[in-house]
Amino acid sequence: MRSISARLTFWYALSATVTLAILFLAGYQLLESRLIHGLDQLNEAEFRQLKEHLGADYQHLNSQAMDERIRDTSESSSVLFYIAIEHPKTDIKFKSRNLQGREIPDIKGKRAYSASMEGIGDLRVDEFLLAPFDVTIATSARSVHDGMREYVKVCAALLLAMLVASIGIGLGLSRLLLRPIRAIRETANRIGSDNLSERIPVADLNDEVTDLARLLNQMFDRLESAFDQIRRFSDEASHELKTPLSLVRLHAEKMLRDGDLPPAHAEAVLVQIEELARLNQIIDEMLFLSRAEAKAIRIDLKPHDPARFLETFNQDARALAEHSGRRYVATHKGRGRAVFEEKWVRQVLLNLLTNALNASPPTGLVSLRSELKGGLWRVSVEDEGPGLPANQRERIFERFVRFNTSLNGDRGSGLGLTISRSIISLHGGRIFAAPANGEQGLRVTFEIPSLVAETSVAA
Amino acid sequence: MKVLIVEDEMRLGQFLRQGLSEHAHTANWVQTCRGANDALVETKYDLIVLDLSLPDGDGIELVREWRASGFNEPVLILSARDSLEDRIKGLDVGADDYLPKPFSLEELLARMRALLRRQSVTKQTVLERNGVKLDLLGHTVHVNGEAVDLTGREYALLEIFMQNAGRVLTRTLISEKIWSSHYEVDTNLLDVYMSRLRAKLEGALGKPVFKTVRGIGYQFL
Repeated sequence: MRSISARLTFWYALSATVTLAILFLAGYQLLESRLIHGLDQLNEAEFRQLKEHLGADYQHLNSQAMDERIRDTSESSSVLFYIAIEHPKTDIKFKSRNLQGREIPDIKGKRAYSASMEGIGDLRVDEFLLAPFDVTIATSARSVHDGMREYVKVCAALLLAMLVASIGIGLGLSRLLLRPIRAIRETANRIGSDNLSERIPVADLNDEVTDLARLLNQMFDRLESAFDQIRRFSDEASHELKTPLSLVRLHAEKMLRDGDLPPAHAEAVLVQIEELARLNQIIDEMLFLSRAEAKAIRIDLKPHDPARFLETFNQDARALAEHSGRRYVATHKGRGRAVFEEKWVRQVLLNLLTNALNASPPTGLVSLRSELKGGLWRVSVEDEGPGLPANQRERIFERFVRFNTSLNGDRGSGLGLTISRSIISLHGGRIFAAPANGEQGLRVTFEIPSLVAETSVAA
Repeated sequence: MKVLIVEDEMRLGQFLRQGLSEHAHTANWVQTCRGANDALVETKYDLIVLDLSLPDGDGIELVREWRASGFNEPVLILSARDSLEDRIKGLDVGADDYLPKPFSLEELLARMRALLRRQSVTKQTVLERNGVKLDLLGHTVHVNGEAVDLTGREYALLEIFMQNAGRVLTRTLISEKIWSSHYEVDTNLLDVYMSRLRAKLEGALGKPVFKTVRGIGYQFL
């Protein structure tokens, strides 16, 4: 059972019903012995009456005399009682007519017992001593059985009602109990990086749930201050670094604009401007990473069709590949939509493409494979470059790690793949490198969750 | 054009005031939110260049106040904070454009011109210069009367240049207009499209159409 409320209800209903069933069982035993005791008393009363009719001289009666004295009484009570009187040594005997000559079953060593007789049914039998006679009086136990059957029926109905009622009560009760916890869950769910100041409402009580809510609120306080620190650092660092950068750039450009610089100096100023742009890029990327690690980047996740997205991207990719003298092939399989924000995934793809183009030999082939399958959108970019040994492949996603840079005079910051990994993990996906299918080359693959194609069968 | 610069950093403010004056603008410079409000009460400005982090308040709040009180002159935000979040927030409260630091003076001037042009739009449907003719309605391009076949991106690029003929356009500005992000600045995608466009136009025309301004951008001659 998945929810606490269902579990609570189940155990509540089970324990209530079982308790009631045990009580009913005990009641059954009590009631039955009570009713049987009543029968014993009836039998005893009949015995007393018989004794009276037999008179004080009963010890000397023969069968006939005995018959004369008690036949009438026994006949008048024959609906209720079966009577047998015996003398253990002589054959003096009396049997009520309703026995029709049969013997009342005897259980040796017991004076009161239940027995069953053919043609009559269940009986309650009591043996009395009226020395020298043994008097056995039995009465039908049907009334007891009927009563017990009724009792069982009523109990069963009550148990069923109890089960239904306790499920209802259990559900209501668990809802009531879990209401503060539900409130906590909803609030905690709502609190994200964009509304970290919201708190779980805490009732003015001192129970386990409010304690939990207070603890969670304290945790959110700590989280919020950590977030704020990162945001503030990122803003301040940004401001402190970029204002001087602006000034340097503006002055450098002014020097160029005003002219009069010897060509060698003009070239030096241009290099400065280019390096400034690079520095600015590194600052932006590092600040992006620190925000991404703090989950302070907001990503607008929406379902998009990867096929259409790639169509646009491929235009640019082909232009870039053509320009660098490499070949570019893209394929896409599967229908459906993946959940992502286009500009971020585009940035990842451009980064993978740039790396692949840089690593490729002249006229080398860079291939992009995209596939929607099994709830994932998987895209891999593969080159025909020298590839990387396994230990280096693991490390290319780390900050400032660069390999094979001498090949094409790579001017990257060494943060591109780190950023790509951040972006993909913000999309709930993963990115990894593997050797390409051919003899050499590197393949970088990312996967992000997709939605199943709704129209794959219909169309 | 009369411009109010709101920038707390002393040297940057001075530089901007001087730079804008050299380009025939009348520039006034203040360092605080208060100073900005006082200046606006005093005179009417055509445009406000506003830094976001000011010592006595937040630039975004300032724009919000201005817009709420019915002040409608164009506002160009200048900010070190280059996260997309800030950009959207600034434009949401009613700023008209946003320029991330570090920027180039050319870029600032180009954006200021664009903002003022937005005020007084005279829509042309055919742009023509140096023998290149661009029909905005028919989406066609002719060089010396001969039709030239351009891809979608090349056409968009040419349109931006012809709308701003004779001016240096920075890489960030072009990139933002075409890809609505400036990440492409870091790849050489823009240079790739520029060289294709150049090959097509200059091949047909037999003379240079664009000038590369190193470290800054391109200019349609």
